Amino acid sequence: MTAEAATGTLPQVKRPHTGRVRGLLMALPPIVFVVVFVGLPIVNAALYSLGHLGGLNSTTALIATHQSRATHWWGTLGAYRDVFSQDRFWRDLTVTVVITLISTGVTLVLATSIALFLRLSGSVISKGLAALSVVPQFIPVVIASWAILTFYSATGLPRTIAAHLGFSFPIWGYTSVAVVIGSIWTSLPFAVLMIASGVQGVPDAVIEAARDSGASLARAVGTVVLPMAFVPIVIAATFTAIGIIGSFTVPYLTGPNAPTMLGVSLTNFFQAYNQPQQSIVMAFVVFIVAALIGAAYVWANFRSSKDVS
Amino acid sequence: MKRRAFAAAAVAVPTSVMLSGCLKSSTSASNGGGSSGKGATKSLTVLLGDDTNIQDLWQNGLIPGFRKSNPDADIKIDFDLHSEHSEQNLAKMSAAVKRNQSPGFDITDESVTQAAQADLLVKQDASKLPPLADMPKTVIAQGYGAGVPYRASSVLLAYNTKTVSSPPKTLAELLAWIKAHPGKFTYCSPKSGGSGGAFATTVLDANMPKNIQEEMRVKYDASLEKYWDPGFKVLRGLDPYVYQKGVYPNGNNQALDLLASGQIEMTPVWSDQFITGQKNGQIPESVKVHQISDPSFTGGANYLGLVKTSPAIDLAQKLFTYILSPEAQTLIATQIAGYPVIPLSKMPESIQKKFADADPSDLRENFFGDFGTDLNNLWDQKVPR
Repeated sequence: MTAEAATGTLPQVKRPHTGRVRGLLMALPPIVFVVVFVGLPIVNAALYSLGHLGGLNSTTALIATHQSRATHWWGTLGAYRDVFSQDRFWRDLTVTVVITLISTGVTLVLATSIALFLRLSGSVISKGLAALSVVPQFIPVVIASWAILTFYSATGLPRTIAAHLGFSFPIWGYTSVAVVIGSIWTSLPFAVLMIASGVQGVPDAVIEAARDSGASLARAVGTVVLPMAFVPIVIAATFTAIGIIGSFTVPYLTGPNAPTMLGVSLTNFFQAYNQPQQSIVMAFVVFIVAALIGAAYVWANFRSSKDVS
Repeated sequence: MKRRAFAAAAVAVPTSVMLSGCLKSSTSASNGGGSSGKGATKSLTVLLGDDTNIQDLWQNGLIPGFRKSNPDADIKIDFDLHSEHSEQNLAKMSAAVKRNQSPGFDITDESVTQAAQADLLVKQDASKLPPLADMPKTVIAQGYGAGVPYRASSVLLAYNTKTVSSPPKTLAELLAWIKAHPGKFTYCSPKSGGSGGAFATTVLDANMPKNIQEEMRVKYDASLEKYWDPGFKVLRGLDPYVYQKGVYPNGNNQALDLLASGQIEMTPVWSDQFITGQKNGQIPESVKVHQISDPSFTGGANYLGLVKTSPAIDLAQKLFTYILSPEAQTLIATQIAGYPVIPLSKMPESIQKKFADADPSDLRENFFGDFGTDLNNLWDQKVPR
């Protein structure tokens, strides 16, 4: 974000040749790192998913079961057909997308409310609330998931209290509801930090001007504050959604056996069913969905760099 | 291997294990290389992927026992709790064998069947290891000609005596009990724990012709899986009666926790895990176990494999011979309440008495090799909603 913003602000400056080389050299370590440790494995995995079982994939191929072997020079779509023909996959994909949408939506609403409350009130309560909402950042996800599972289980606190009062509270342990609660819990801190900083950046003068010209508080928020914090909100939304769509720990520990989110499902294919090829196919599907969400992030960045210049 | 209860921990990346493994292999190879060549290597590393009770068994039982007759042997243990790193260890083994190097351990009890299938282990037969001749054919077959069975355990039905006065004696009675007591029974999903796998296997068996059951225990043939369909229908039919209308916990331990906290009244459990659990207080006194019949729950042997490229093959074969001796099998039976794998008639009388009700030679094996992973997969597709 900052890099693009920086190049956006300095497009006309002509740099000497040596500076360009130095710049390239400075950028080289991360590029080499990404190419070697991320890029190559991705290419390798893509080749494996297309049925190229030799070379670097031969060790994996030796142990895996139900593999498709390349039939053309480019490979075969056998593994993809295998995955896409299973109802379970489409069910898992639907659940993954729905949980991501709901969790992201709720997270954004909660984070925006806290940010606005903090911006407009500035009281001790609002500051306390904002500080409290960041707490999940400091609690490991495994522990939080376990706590959520126990809390909403058949013997959990809400059910115990409800039973004493004479009515029955639903059991949420091992259901998708628990997954949504867990996802919101883990995503909230980052969203609050991001959106709060965006909302704090709106100058008092702008809000006061809107109020002076007769806008109600709601109107001032809706037409002035939120649009000015639009980019941080989009960034928070994309990061939250990408984080949730690839999550494993929360759905693995708190979710139902079926349908599961794809993160759990592809781990099952990899380990429990010993079908790494199919697992990689599912990983690519998650990657594509995440890339679509990422496109929104790039667009927001583009917009923000234009705003700067 | 089947006990891998906690795949969650697979998130961790265990590079340190790999490093330590490499270091060990180089030292063990150079120790023996001195005067008498490779065959006389006196140092050996055993990779164990189990719970701590198995580590104790080796450290305080089997290794000291073996050193009585081989005082100069140096047996080390590379311990991988709950087989959390079994995937990496298997990959390390296959890579090392391909390059004709030692993977850093000589004997493994992790992923033995997979390694044997991939031809990474030294082949074993009765001429090399005479006790194998006395073992049931199905037990040997599941070792793919390379795995050495060395201890066994079986799955039993655990129930809460506070609420269940007369537990079901047969599978049919158990199924009827589950339907009569909705929400009071569950088993862990087969992929997450062997106790759940045994329950599923037993129900599938009960709905399959006898000859197919036997065939599925000696060789892998995916076309036979169509015979599972009636059994899966029965399991699917149980779904609304299972805990919380269809919740199957992850792993043997989670199922036991539900039983111990009184949320369910009955669940299948590993024999040795139950005994250990009652010893350390994880399972209350009020929980009892027994084996059902017609058919009984499956169990299985745990196998040891000797890596093909190990520099200590002779010593390892000697260790195998010792482990299959009545003396070592008695240690297994007393220390971890494991089932002996050699015929009971060769064991001391006290052990014969202890296992009189659950004859290890009657142990019903799980399905063969890849049927296991296929069962995990199909169960996930067909049983939970």
